Amino acid sequence: MRKNLKRLTAVGLTAVLGAGLLAGCGGKDGESKDGKVELVMSVWDSDQQPVMEKMAEAYNKEHPNVTVKTQLTTWSEYWTKLEASATGGSAPDIITMNVLHVEEYADAGILMDLTEAEAESDLKINENFPAPLVDGYTVDGKLYGIPKDFDTNAVFYNKEIFDKAGVAYPQDGWTFEDFRKTCEDLQAAGLGEGVYPTAINRNSGQTTYISSVFANGGYLLSEGNEKSGWGEQATIDAVQPWLDLVLDGLSPTLQQMADTDPDAMFQGGQLAMYFSGNYMITSYNNTLEGKYGIAKRPTFNGKDTDIINGLAFSVSANTKHPEEAKDFALWLGSEEAQKIQGESGVCISARNDCQQYFVDAHDEVDCQVFLDNVANAELLPHCKVTSELSQVEKKYLEPAWKGEISLEEACKNIAKEQDPILEKMNSK
Amino acid sequence: MSKANTKAVKKKATRRQKKDWVAGYLFIAPVTIGLFIFYVFPFLQNFWFSFNDVNKFNMATFNGIENYKQLFHEPDLLLALKNTFLYAIITVPIGLIISLVLASFMNSKIKGKGLYRTIYFLPSVTMAAAVALVWKLIFNGDYGILNEILGVFGIEGQSWLTNPDTALFCVMLVGIWSGAGYNMIILLAGMQGVSKSYYEAAEIDGAGPVQRFFKITIPLVSPTIFFVTITGLIGAFQVFDTLYMMIDMDKNPAFNAVKTVNVLFYQNAFVYGYKGYAAAISIFMFVIIMIITVFQLWGQKKWVNYD
Repeated sequence: MRKNLKRLTAVGLTAVLGAGLLAGCGGKDGESKDGKVELVMSVWDSDQQPVMEKMAEAYNKEHPNVTVKTQLTTWSEYWTKLEASATGGSAPDIITMNVLHVEEYADAGILMDLTEAEAESDLKINENFPAPLVDGYTVDGKLYGIPKDFDTNAVFYNKEIFDKAGVAYPQDGWTFEDFRKTCEDLQAAGLGEGVYPTAINRNSGQTTYISSVFANGGYLLSEGNEKSGWGEQATIDAVQPWLDLVLDGLSPTLQQMADTDPDAMFQGGQLAMYFSGNYMITSYNNTLEGKYGIAKRPTFNGKDTDIINGLAFSVSANTKHPEEAKDFALWLGSEEAQKIQGESGVCISARNDCQQYFVDAHDEVDCQVFLDNVANAELLPHCKVTSELSQVEKKYLEPAWKGEISLEEACKNIAKEQDPILEKMNSK
Repeated sequence: MSKANTKAVKKKATRRQKKDWVAGYLFIAPVTIGLFIFYVFPFLQNFWFSFNDVNKFNMATFNGIENYKQLFHEPDLLLALKNTFLYAIITVPIGLIISLVLASFMNSKIKGKGLYRTIYFLPSVTMAAAVALVWKLIFNGDYGILNEILGVFGIEGQSWLTNPDTALFCVMLVGIWSGAGYNMIILLAGMQGVSKSYYEAAEIDGAGPVQRFFKITIPLVSPTIFFVTITGLIGAFQVFDTLYMMIDMDKNPAFNAVKTVNVLFYQNAFVYGYKGYAAAISIFMFVIIMIITVFQLWGQKKWVNYD
């Protein structure tokens, strides 16, 4: 009996293994006999998956032969997985893209050129979408993505902490000096253990110091991505006041922020003010709904600047159904699709006439500031070697954030190491 | 009759032999095919890539030994090698001693052995990612239970995983903790193969438990100890998963202090997209591990007892 059992297990295991191998070999065809097409769309944000499914359903109602499946991969694995599947020629038909990656994917021939398809359609991308976003997805004059959404930044403040401390809420039109004063007032009022006026993280440049760099006349990457701007005095002077908040104890230390992410700290009611993008509202509402407000970022050097970043829908160059995929991608830019997305309240639809839906979807907090900021926002600086450049920034900004070296020394070193990387990139 | 008959007999034998071969090959086929697809072919491709400039999407252009030249100018190479060796030199011996002690306890007559065996073996059947996550919380500077416990004794804790001086040691601790149970089981199997008569004879001659451990157990399980050391060292040189999970590459300021060769490889291959250069790093590491293993195989003659 026992022996039989063993044999049975062995046979069973072999069968399972064999079946697994065969299943692995059986390719997905996507098209069945009755002319039905299945498209796969990749996404990394689980908050956004439901609304993307909703959009897919709406498209399916008009095009019954096309069904779209969303494929969720978390942010930390998204690009590694996409890289691997694109290399193997099996990338999802519709790819959620960001500006940091579009150039290298376009260069490698993984994305489909949508210029012609857009021109033939009635999308009118230049008229209907914010210019920085369209520019972000145009590589060498060719369009590689239909703008999906965008994000800009603001100050999120915890009303309970402000009320308790008896400090006035942030007011639109305030300056950086006002912001610093507010931090000091909160600190002086006594915030309780583990609660800080704000948190300025080294890697949070997009929401904090990068727009100040622009306001101050500095830059991080020169025109044409030829030179690093970190060594410029205007850049250093713009970052210094932000860093001072950390060094003066108005923000948690770098180590504390590494142990517990500032996003989590704000959600846990441990930060009075936090700089963040509109994409975090859904998460903040989980714990703080109704308890926080949103104010415009403080002006820097008298200028009201912000950074805009956004996602797009790209089409895989290797898709088995190029016509259907292209048509769906263009439809995703339509008023109908972007309205569905906007009304869900998870992100601001990129299309100009659909941006308002996001604000309307949020009764609990005023989100108008995110739309107002588009007019004076610059696109997040990026190039093909962004991830390598950011490792250099990390290497020197960390000791500066800990107060071990001066910011000036850190910035000069960053420029010194980034320039050869850029040179190498441009020589290819 | 003689010639024709022998031929027939021979033929019959080969047919049976052939049948056996077919059966044999069929049995090893699943593993062998898997080995070729998932190990041998990637290894060869990796070797080829190390002489190419390979971008994120595996597009390769031959560039000779350029990657290896670059490797010897790598500013982080020495640091990564230092961390890798430090990790191996500390975790392997300590892990071995702990699992030896555990195994000999498990081998003696104590109550509830089964329960202890399960407890010590649990980390081996738990996903590395889950283990890393739990330890990450334990070491957390603000809410970690480790600091809470230290607080009871009036010792002030710290941010263990983000302090460059302590981060690597925390990862080592987790490495030892999660490997001890597995090694214990292997060593225990070795100990149970030692004949009881040796111990009885030693006891009659008046040898105490400590003496019995060093004079009988250790020499007789030395082949198992050797095996555990070799696999342990190879594993330690390739440490990656716990490090990757516990030390956030983007945010943790201690990241550079704990960078190992494998992390350097990962960073170049999957963060920067320099796959050719990363392939050269992995070949370099392969050669180091091979040299060390050859030395061990040579050195075993001096201390491993196969009788």
